[in-house]
Amino acid sequence: MWEWWRKNRTMLLGLVLILAALLWYSAGLRRQEQTSLLDRSLLVIVGPVLEGLDYGISAAADIWGHYLYLVGTVEHNRQLTTENRNLRGLIARLEEIDLENRRLRRLLEFKEEQAVAGLPARIIAEDASSWFRTVMIDKGIEDGVSAGMPVVAAEGLVGRVVRSSTGQARVLLITDASSAVATLVQHNRARGVCRGQGERLSFEFVLRREDVAIGDRVVTSGMGGVFPKGLVIGQVTALSRDPFSLFLTVEVTPSVDFSHLEEVLVLSREDP
Amino acid sequence: MSHFASALLFAGTAIVLQAGFLPSLLPGYAKPDLLLILVVYLGLHERPWRGGALVYGIGWGYDCFAGHFPGLHGFVLLALFLAVRAIVTRVNTESSVLLLALVLTGTVLQGVLVAFALDFFHRTQQVWSLILLQLPWQVILNLLSAYILLHVTLWLQRTFLPRSTLPGLRKLDSRYDS
Repeated sequence: MWEWWRKNRTMLLGLVLILAALLWYSAGLRRQEQTSLLDRSLLVIVGPVLEGLDYGISAAADIWGHYLYLVGTVEHNRQLTTENRNLRGLIARLEEIDLENRRLRRLLEFKEEQAVAGLPARIIAEDASSWFRTVMIDKGIEDGVSAGMPVVAAEGLVGRVVRSSTGQARVLLITDASSAVATLVQHNRARGVCRGQGERLSFEFVLRREDVAIGDRVVTSGMGGVFPKGLVIGQVTALSRDPFSLFLTVEVTPSVDFSHLEEVLVLSREDP
Repeated sequence: MSHFASALLFAGTAIVLQAGFLPSLLPGYAKPDLLLILVVYLGLHERPWRGGALVYGIGWGYDCFAGHFPGLHGFVLLALFLAVRAIVTRVNTESSVLLLALVLTGTVLQGVLVAFALDFFHRTQQVWSLILLQLPWQVILNLLSAYILLHVTLWLQRTFLPRSTLPGLRKLDSRYDS
Protein backbone atom coordinates (compact mmCIF):
# COMPACT_ATOMS: atom_id res chain seq x y z
CA MET A 1 0.00 0.00 0.00
CA TRP A 2 2.77 2.44 1.01
CA GLU A 3 4.70 1.50 -2.11
CA TRP A 4 1.63 2.13 -4.29
CA TRP A 5 1.09 5.51 -2.61
CA ARG A 6 4.71 6.52 -3.15
CA LYS A 7 4.49 5.50 -6.82
CA ASN A 8 1.27 7.35 -7.59
CA ARG A 9 1.50 10.18 -5.06
CA THR A 10 2.21 12.95 -7.58
CA MET A 11 -0.58 11.92 -9.92
CA LEU A 12 -3.11 11.60 -7.09
CA LEU A 13 -2.15 14.97 -5.61
CA GLY A 14 -2.49 16.50 -9.06
CA LEU A 15 -5.97 15.05 -9.43
CA VAL A 16 -6.94 16.30 -5.97
CA LEU A 17 -5.70 19.79 -6.91
CA ILE A 18 -7.72 19.80 -10.15
CA LEU A 19 -10.80 18.58 -8.30
CA ALA A 20 -10.33 21.26 -5.64
CA ALA A 21 -10.01 23.94 -8.33
CA LEU A 22 -13.16 22.62 -10.04
CA LEU A 23 -15.11 22.63 -6.76
CA TRP A 24 -13.91 26.15 -5.98
CA TYR A 25 -15.08 27.26 -9.44
CA SER A 26 -18.42 25.54 -8.89
CA ALA A 27 -18.87 27.24 -5.51
CA GLY A 28 -17.91 30.57 -7.09
CA LEU A 29 -20.83 30.37 -9.53
CA ARG A 30 -23.13 31.41 -6.68
CA ARG A 31 -21.14 34.62 -6.29
CA GLN A 32 -21.00 35.16 -10.03
CA GLU A 33 -22.77 38.52 -9.95
CA GLN A 34 -20.51 39.93 -7.23
CA THR A 35 -17.37 41.88 -8.00
CA SER A 36 -14.59 40.42 -5.86
CA LEU A 37 -11.73 42.36 -4.30
CA LEU A 38 -9.33 40.76 -6.79
CA ASP A 39 -11.55 41.88 -9.69
CA ARG A 40 -11.68 45.42 -8.36
CA SER A 41 -7.95 45.64 -7.65
CA LEU A 42 -6.91 44.26 -11.04
CA LEU A 43 -9.40 46.48 -12.87
CA VAL A 44 -8.09 49.52 -10.98
CA ILE A 45 -4.49 48.64 -11.96
CA VAL A 46 -5.03 47.47 -15.55
CA GLY A 47 -8.04 49.68 -16.40
CA PRO A 48 -6.05 52.93 -16.89
CA VAL A 49 -3.46 51.05 -19.00
CA LEU A 50 -6.23 49.70 -21.25
CA GLU A 51 -7.81 53.16 -21.44
CA GLY A 52 -4.49 54.71 -22.51
CA LEU A 53 -3.96 51.95 -25.07
CA ASP A 54 -7.47 52.48 -26.43
CA TYR A 55 -6.92 56.22 -26.83
CA GLY A 56 -3.57 55.58 -28.54
CA ILE A 57 -5.07 53.10 -31.00
CA SER A 58 -8.05 55.41 -31.69
CA ALA A 59 -5.72 58.34 -32.35
CA ALA A 60 -3.59 56.27 -34.75
CA ALA A 61 -6.71 54.95 -36.51
CA ASP A 62 -8.10 58.52 -36.79
CA ILE A 63 -4.90 59.83 -38.40
CA TRP A 64 -4.87 56.91 -40.82
CA GLY A 65 -8.58 57.13 -41.65
CA HIS A 66 -8.92 60.93 -41.82
CA TYR A 67 -5.68 62.02 -43.44
CA LEU A 68 -4.01 59.07 -45.17
CA TYR A 69 -6.45 56.37 -46.34
CA LEU A 70 -9.04 58.37 -48.30
CA VAL A 71 -9.82 55.88 -51.08
CA GLY A 72 -13.57 55.89 -51.81
CA THR A 73 -14.27 59.02 -49.73
CA VAL A 74 -15.97 60.88 -52.61
CA GLU A 75 -18.28 57.93 -53.36
CA HIS A 76 -18.98 57.48 -49.64
CA ASN A 77 -19.79 61.18 -49.34
CA ARG A 78 -22.25 60.96 -52.26
CA GLN A 79 -23.98 57.96 -50.66
CA LEU A 80 -24.24 59.72 -47.31
CA THR A 81 -25.72 62.86 -48.90
CA THR A 82 -28.46 60.79 -50.55
CA GLU A 83 -29.06 58.87 -47.33
CA ASN A 84 -29.17 62.13 -45.37
CA ARG A 85 -31.85 63.52 -47.73
CA ASN A 86 -33.97 60.38 -47.29
CA LEU A 87 -33.53 60.43 -43.50
CA ARG A 88 -34.62 64.07 -43.28
CA GLY A 89 -37.87 63.09 -44.96
CA LEU A 90 -38.27 60.17 -42.60
CA ILE A 91 -37.63 62.36 -39.52
CA ALA A 92 -40.32 64.79 -40.65
CA ARG A 93 -42.82 61.93 -40.93
CA LEU A 94 -41.75 60.49 -37.55
CA GLU A 95 -42.16 63.86 -35.85
CA GLU A 96 -45.76 63.87 -37.02
CA ILE A 97 -46.27 60.35 -35.65
CA ASP A 98 -44.60 61.35 -32.35
CA LEU A 99 -46.95 64.30 -31.92
CA GLU A 100 -49.93 62.11 -32.70
CA ASN A 101 -48.70 59.51 -30.20
CA ARG A 102 -48.40 62.13 -27.46
CA ARG A 103 -51.89 63.39 -28.12
CA LEU A 104 -53.31 59.86 -27.97
CA ARG A 105 -51.40 59.04 -24.77
CA ARG A 106 -52.79 62.12 -23.11
CA LEU A 107 -56.23 61.19 -24.36
CA LEU A 108 -56.01 57.72 -22.84
CA GLU A 109 -54.50 59.14 -19.64
CA PHE A 110 -51.48 56.88 -19.79
CA LYS A 111 -49.30 57.05 -16.73
CA GLU A 112 -45.73 57.99 -17.55
CA GLU A 113 -43.48 54.97 -17.36
CA GLN A 114 -40.48 55.02 -15.05
CA ALA A 115 -37.87 57.35 -16.43
CA VAL A 116 -34.74 55.58 -17.64
CA ALA A 117 -31.54 57.58 -17.28
CA GLY A 118 -28.67 56.79 -19.64
CA LEU A 119 -24.98 57.19 -18.91
CA PRO A 120 -22.73 57.34 -22.00
CA ALA A 121 -19.64 55.13 -21.80
CA ARG A 122 -16.76 54.26 -24.07
CA ILE A 123 -15.58 50.72 -24.76
CA ILE A 124 -11.92 50.46 -23.82
CA ALA A 125 -11.23 46.73 -24.11
CA GLU A 126 -12.65 43.43 -25.29
CA ASP A 127 -12.66 40.04 -23.62
CA ALA A 128 -9.14 38.67 -23.18
CA SER A 129 -10.28 35.21 -24.30
CA SER A 130 -11.68 34.14 -27.68
CA TRP A 131 -14.41 31.99 -26.12
CA PHE A 132 -16.35 34.76 -24.34
CA ARG A 133 -18.08 37.96 -25.42
CA THR A 134 -17.58 40.71 -22.87
CA VAL A 135 -16.30 44.27 -23.16
CA MET A 136 -14.87 46.75 -20.66
CA ILE A 137 -16.29 50.28 -20.40
CA ASP A 138 -14.72 53.40 -18.91
CA LYS A 139 -17.45 53.98 -16.31
CA GLY A 140 -17.66 52.27 -12.92
CA ILE A 141 -18.95 52.56 -9.37
CA GLU A 142 -17.84 56.23 -9.21
CA ASP A 143 -20.30 56.98 -12.02
CA GLY A 144 -23.10 54.92 -10.49
CA VAL A 145 -22.59 51.81 -12.63
CA SER A 146 -23.32 48.53 -10.88
CA ALA A 147 -23.82 44.88 -11.80
CA GLY A 148 -27.12 44.09 -13.51
CA MET A 149 -27.57 47.42 -15.32
CA PRO A 150 -28.65 47.10 -18.97
CA VAL A 151 -26.37 48.52 -21.65
CA VAL A 152 -27.66 49.72 -25.03
CA ALA A 153 -26.41 51.34 -28.23
CA ALA A 154 -28.32 53.45 -30.75
CA GLU A 155 -29.17 50.29 -32.74
CA GLY A 156 -30.44 48.22 -29.81
CA LEU A 157 -29.55 46.09 -26.80
CA VAL A 158 -25.86 45.45 -26.10
CA GLY A 159 -25.88 43.48 -22.82
CA ARG A 160 -25.69 43.96 -19.07
CA VAL A 161 -23.02 44.96 -16.56
CA VAL A 162 -21.56 41.94 -14.75
CA ARG A 163 -18.62 43.47 -12.86
CA SER A 164 -17.94 46.99 -11.73
CA SER A 165 -14.87 48.58 -10.16
CA THR A 166 -14.10 52.21 -9.25
CA GLY A 167 -13.64 53.54 -12.77
CA GLN A 168 -14.37 50.62 -15.10
CA ALA A 169 -17.02 47.96 -15.57
CA ARG A 170 -17.37 44.80 -17.60
CA VAL A 171 -20.40 44.17 -19.79
CA LEU A 172 -21.65 40.73 -20.83
CA LEU A 173 -22.79 41.00 -24.45
CA ILE A 174 -26.06 39.37 -25.53
CA THR A 175 -24.04 37.26 -28.00
CA ASP A 176 -22.12 35.48 -25.19
CA ALA A 177 -23.01 31.80 -24.85
CA SER A 178 -24.03 32.32 -21.21
CA SER A 179 -26.37 35.21 -21.97
CA ALA A 180 -30.14 34.73 -22.09
CA VAL A 181 -32.69 37.52 -22.66
CA ALA A 182 -36.48 37.22 -22.38
CA THR A 183 -37.78 38.43 -25.74
CA LEU A 184 -40.82 38.69 -27.98
CA VAL A 185 -41.52 39.14 -31.66
CA GLN A 186 -42.57 42.74 -32.11
CA HIS A 187 -45.53 42.31 -34.47
CA ASN A 188 -47.35 39.35 -32.85
CA ARG A 189 -45.86 39.35 -29.30
CA ALA A 190 -44.74 35.68 -29.53
CA ARG A 191 -42.56 35.04 -26.49
CA GLY A 192 -39.22 33.25 -26.23
CA VAL A 193 -35.66 33.48 -24.95
CA CYS A 194 -32.70 34.75 -27.00
CA ARG A 195 -29.45 32.96 -26.20
CA GLY A 196 -26.03 34.07 -27.44
CA GLN A 197 -24.18 31.99 -30.01
CA GLY A 198 -21.03 34.02 -30.57
CA GLU A 199 -22.08 36.28 -33.41
CA ARG A 200 -25.78 35.45 -33.68
CA LEU A 201 -28.57 34.55 -31.27
CA SER A 202 -30.85 31.55 -31.09
CA PHE A 203 -34.46 32.44 -30.32
CA GLU A 204 -35.71 29.52 -28.23
CA PHE A 205 -39.07 28.32 -26.86
CA VAL A 206 -41.17 29.96 -29.58
CA LEU A 207 -44.21 27.74 -30.12
CA ARG A 208 -44.48 26.12 -33.56
CA ARG A 209 -47.94 27.54 -34.15
CA GLU A 210 -46.69 31.13 -33.80
CA ASP A 211 -46.64 33.25 -36.95
CA VAL A 212 -42.95 34.12 -37.19
CA ALA A 213 -41.26 35.03 -40.48
CA ILE A 214 -37.80 36.01 -41.66
CA GLY A 215 -37.29 39.75 -41.19
CA ASP A 216 -39.44 39.99 -38.05
CA ARG A 217 -38.06 42.30 -35.41
CA VAL A 218 -37.31 40.85 -31.96
CA VAL A 219 -37.46 43.06 -28.84
CA THR A 220 -37.00 42.58 -25.10
CA SER A 221 -40.14 41.48 -23.26
CA GLY A 222 -39.25 43.08 -19.93
CA MET A 223 -39.73 39.74 -18.13
CA GLY A 224 -37.05 38.87 -15.60
CA GLY A 225 -36.59 42.48 -14.53
CA VAL A 226 -33.10 43.00 -15.99
CA PHE A 227 -33.88 44.67 -19.31
CA PRO A 228 -36.61 47.27 -19.88
CA LYS A 229 -39.38 46.28 -22.25
CA GLY A 230 -39.16 47.13 -25.95
CA LEU A 231 -35.41 47.33 -26.56
CA VAL A 232 -34.54 46.11 -30.07
CA ILE A 233 -32.46 42.93 -30.14
CA GLY A 234 -32.35 42.09 -33.82
CA GLN A 235 -34.12 40.50 -36.75
CA VAL A 236 -35.09 36.93 -37.57
CA THR A 237 -32.69 35.74 -40.29
CA ALA A 238 -33.27 31.98 -40.34
CA LEU A 239 -36.24 29.85 -39.41
CA SER A 240 -37.20 26.19 -39.55
CA ARG A 241 -40.34 24.33 -38.52
CA ASP A 242 -39.67 20.76 -37.46
CA PRO A 243 -43.02 18.88 -37.65
CA PHE A 244 -42.08 16.79 -34.60
CA SER A 245 -40.94 19.63 -32.39
CA LEU A 246 -43.00 21.80 -30.08
CA PHE A 247 -40.87 24.83 -30.81
CA LEU A 248 -39.55 26.69 -33.83
CA THR A 249 -35.83 26.87 -34.54
CA VAL A 250 -35.16 30.57 -35.02
CA GLU A 251 -31.90 32.42 -35.60
CA VAL A 252 -31.69 36.14 -34.84
CA THR A 253 -29.02 38.51 -36.10
CA PRO A 254 -28.36 41.28 -33.55
CA SER A 255 -29.12 44.81 -34.69
CA VAL A 256 -25.93 46.02 -33.02
CA ASP A 257 -22.69 45.50 -34.94
CA PHE A 258 -20.55 44.35 -32.01
CA SER A 259 -17.33 44.37 -34.03
CA HIS A 260 -17.58 48.14 -34.54
CA LEU A 261 -19.07 49.12 -31.20
CA GLU A 262 -17.31 52.09 -29.59
CA GLU A 263 -19.82 53.95 -27.43
CA VAL A 264 -22.70 52.62 -25.37
CA LEU A 265 -25.32 53.86 -22.94
CA VAL A 266 -25.68 52.34 -19.46
CA LEU A 267 -29.32 52.49 -18.37
CA SER A 268 -30.43 52.95 -14.79
CA ARG A 269 -33.99 53.09 -13.56
CA GLU A 270 -34.87 56.27 -11.72
CA ASP A 271 -38.09 57.61 -10.32
CA PRO A 272 -39.68 60.28 -12.52
CA MET B 1 14.41 39.46 -11.99
CA SER B 2 13.20 36.10 -10.70
CA HIS B 3 11.40 33.66 -12.98
CA PHE B 4 8.31 34.10 -10.81
CA ALA B 5 8.23 37.88 -11.36
CA SER B 6 9.06 37.45 -15.06
CA ALA B 7 6.12 35.08 -15.47
CA LEU B 8 3.77 37.52 -13.69
CA LEU B 9 5.02 40.41 -15.83
CA PHE B 10 4.51 38.35 -18.99
CA ALA B 11 1.01 37.37 -17.82
CA GLY B 12 0.07 41.02 -17.16
CA THR B 13 1.40 42.12 -20.54
CA ALA B 14 -0.39 39.22 -22.25
CA ILE B 15 -3.73 40.21 -20.68
CA VAL B 16 -3.31 43.86 -21.72
CA LEU B 17 -2.39 42.80 -25.28
CA GLN B 18 -5.24 40.29 -25.56
CA ALA B 19 -7.89 42.65 -24.17
CA GLY B 20 -6.73 46.02 -25.46
CA PHE B 21 -4.41 45.73 -28.43
CA LEU B 22 -4.89 42.53 -30.44
CA PRO B 23 -8.70 42.90 -30.94
CA SER B 24 -8.06 46.07 -32.96
CA LEU B 25 -5.57 44.23 -35.21
CA LEU B 26 -7.36 40.93 -35.78
CA PRO B 27 -10.75 40.49 -37.46
CA GLY B 28 -13.55 38.75 -35.56
CA TYR B 29 -13.24 37.69 -31.95
CA ALA B 30 -10.30 35.28 -32.15
CA LYS B 31 -7.06 36.36 -30.56
CA PRO B 32 -3.97 34.35 -29.62
CA ASP B 33 -3.96 33.01 -26.08
CA LEU B 34 -0.53 34.09 -24.87
CA LEU B 35 -1.30 32.90 -21.34
CA LEU B 36 -1.77 29.36 -22.61
CA ILE B 37 1.70 29.50 -24.18
CA LEU B 38 3.08 30.75 -20.85
CA VAL B 39 1.37 27.91 -18.96
CA VAL B 40 2.79 25.30 -21.36
CA TYR B 41 6.26 26.81 -20.94
CA LEU B 42 5.90 26.87 -17.14
CA GLY B 43 4.68 23.26 -17.24
CA LEU B 44 7.91 22.26 -19.00
CA HIS B 45 10.32 24.16 -16.78
CA GLU B 46 8.75 25.08 -13.43
CA ARG B 47 8.52 22.95 -10.28
CA PRO B 48 5.04 21.44 -9.65
CA TRP B 49 3.99 23.20 -6.44
CA ARG B 50 5.48 26.60 -7.17
CA GLY B 51 4.38 26.51 -10.79
CA GLY B 52 0.93 25.18 -9.87
CA ALA B 53 0.33 28.02 -7.40
CA LEU B 54 1.59 30.58 -9.93
CA VAL B 55 -0.58 29.21 -12.75
CA TYR B 56 -3.68 29.05 -10.52
CA GLY B 57 -3.10 32.69 -9.50
CA ILE B 58 -2.65 33.72 -13.13
CA GLY B 59 -5.90 31.89 -13.94
CA TRP B 60 -7.79 33.93 -11.34
CA GLY B 61 -6.29 37.10 -12.78
CA TYR B 62 -7.32 35.98 -16.26
CA ASP B 63 -10.91 35.56 -15.02
CA CYS B 64 -11.05 39.27 -14.21
CA PHE B 65 -10.69 40.02 -17.94
CA ALA B 66 -12.21 36.97 -19.65
CA GLY B 67 -15.76 35.71 -19.26
CA HIS B 68 -17.61 36.16 -15.98
CA PHE B 69 -17.02 32.89 -14.15
CA PRO B 70 -14.65 33.32 -11.19
CA GLY B 71 -12.25 30.38 -10.91
CA LEU B 72 -12.89 28.98 -14.40
CA HIS B 73 -9.49 29.81 -15.85
CA GLY B 74 -7.84 28.94 -12.54
CA PHE B 75 -9.17 25.39 -13.00
CA VAL B 76 -8.48 25.21 -16.76
CA LEU B 77 -4.92 26.56 -16.61
CA LEU B 78 -4.05 24.43 -13.55
CA ALA B 79 -5.33 21.30 -15.34
CA LEU B 80 -3.23 22.21 -18.40
CA PHE B 81 -0.15 22.84 -16.27
CA LEU B 82 -0.50 19.49 -14.47
CA ALA B 83 -1.14 17.69 -17.76
CA VAL B 84 2.14 19.07 -19.11
CA ARG B 85 3.91 18.17 -15.83
CA ALA B 86 2.59 14.61 -16.17
CA ILE B 87 4.48 14.05 -19.44
CA VAL B 88 7.52 16.20 -18.75
CA THR B 89 9.79 13.34 -17.64
CA ARG B 90 9.07 11.35 -20.80
CA VAL B 91 9.91 14.02 -23.39
CA ASN B 92 12.75 16.28 -24.44
CA THR B 93 11.71 19.55 -22.82
CA GLU B 94 14.37 21.50 -24.74
CA SER B 95 12.71 20.85 -28.10
CA SER B 96 10.93 23.82 -29.68
CA VAL B 97 8.83 21.44 -31.79
CA LEU B 98 7.55 19.85 -28.58
CA LEU B 99 6.53 23.27 -27.26
CA LEU B 100 4.56 23.93 -30.45
CA ALA B 101 2.94 20.46 -30.28
CA LEU B 102 1.98 21.09 -26.66
CA VAL B 103 0.49 24.48 -27.56
CA LEU B 104 -1.62 22.74 -30.22
CA THR B 105 -2.80 20.02 -27.82
CA GLY B 106 -3.20 22.55 -25.02
CA THR B 107 -5.49 24.76 -27.14
CA VAL B 108 -7.78 21.82 -27.88
CA LEU B 109 -7.73 20.68 -24.24
CA GLN B 110 -8.43 24.23 -23.06
CA GLY B 111 -11.47 24.47 -25.36
CA VAL B 112 -12.80 21.12 -24.12
CA LEU B 113 -12.25 22.02 -20.45
CA VAL B 114 -13.91 25.44 -20.77
CA ALA B 115 -16.90 23.91 -22.60
CA PHE B 116 -17.17 21.07 -20.06
CA ALA B 117 -16.99 23.43 -17.06
CA LEU B 118 -19.63 25.75 -18.53
CA ASP B 119 -21.96 23.02 -19.76
CA PHE B 120 -21.73 20.80 -16.68
CA PHE B 121 -21.90 23.48 -13.99
CA HIS B 122 -23.72 26.34 -15.72
CA ARG B 123 -25.89 24.54 -18.31
CA THR B 124 -24.48 26.60 -21.17
CA GLN B 125 -24.78 24.11 -24.04
CA GLN B 126 -24.25 26.81 -26.70
CA VAL B 127 -20.62 27.08 -25.72
CA TRP B 128 -19.77 23.74 -27.40
CA SER B 129 -20.78 24.93 -30.88
CA LEU B 130 -19.12 28.29 -30.32
CA ILE B 131 -15.82 26.72 -29.25
CA LEU B 132 -15.85 23.99 -31.92
CA LEU B 133 -16.44 26.57 -34.64
CA GLN B 134 -13.62 28.76 -33.44
CA LEU B 135 -11.13 26.07 -32.45
CA PRO B 136 -9.30 25.61 -35.80
CA TRP B 137 -8.70 29.36 -36.11
CA GLN B 138 -7.62 29.51 -32.46
CA VAL B 139 -5.15 26.65 -32.93
CA ILE B 140 -3.54 28.40 -35.92
CA LEU B 141 -3.30 31.70 -34.05
CA ASN B 142 -1.79 30.10 -30.95
CA LEU B 143 0.74 28.10 -32.97
CA LEU B 144 1.77 31.15 -34.94
CA SER B 145 2.11 33.24 -31.77
CA ALA B 146 4.14 30.53 -30.02
CA TYR B 147 6.49 30.33 -33.02
CA ILE B 148 6.95 34.11 -33.17
CA LEU B 149 7.34 34.38 -29.37
CA LEU B 150 10.04 31.71 -29.35
CA HIS B 151 12.08 33.51 -31.96
CA VAL B 152 11.54 36.99 -30.52
CA THR B 153 12.46 35.83 -26.99
CA LEU B 154 15.66 34.19 -28.25
CA TRP B 155 16.59 37.28 -30.22
CA LEU B 156 15.93 39.55 -27.21
CA GLN B 157 17.95 37.28 -24.95
CA ARG B 158 20.88 37.19 -27.39
CA THR B 159 20.79 40.96 -27.98
CA PHE B 160 20.14 42.42 -24.54
CA LEU B 161 20.91 39.69 -22.00
CA PRO B 162 23.62 37.56 -23.61
CA ARG B 163 24.93 36.28 -20.27
CA SER B 164 21.64 35.40 -18.61
CA THR B 165 19.59 32.35 -19.51
CA LEU B 166 15.97 31.35 -19.45
CA PRO B 167 15.40 27.67 -18.75
CA GLY B 168 14.76 25.76 -21.92
CA LEU B 169 15.27 28.68 -24.26
CA ARG B 170 19.07 28.69 -24.39
CA LYS B 171 19.20 25.25 -25.95
CA LEU B 172 16.41 26.10 -28.39
CA ASP B 173 18.82 28.52 -29.99
CA SER B 174 20.06 26.94 -33.23
CA ARG B 175 23.68 27.77 -32.32
CA TYR B 176 23.50 25.13 -29.60
CA ASP B 177 22.21 22.41 -31.91
CA SER B 178 24.71 19.62 -32.41
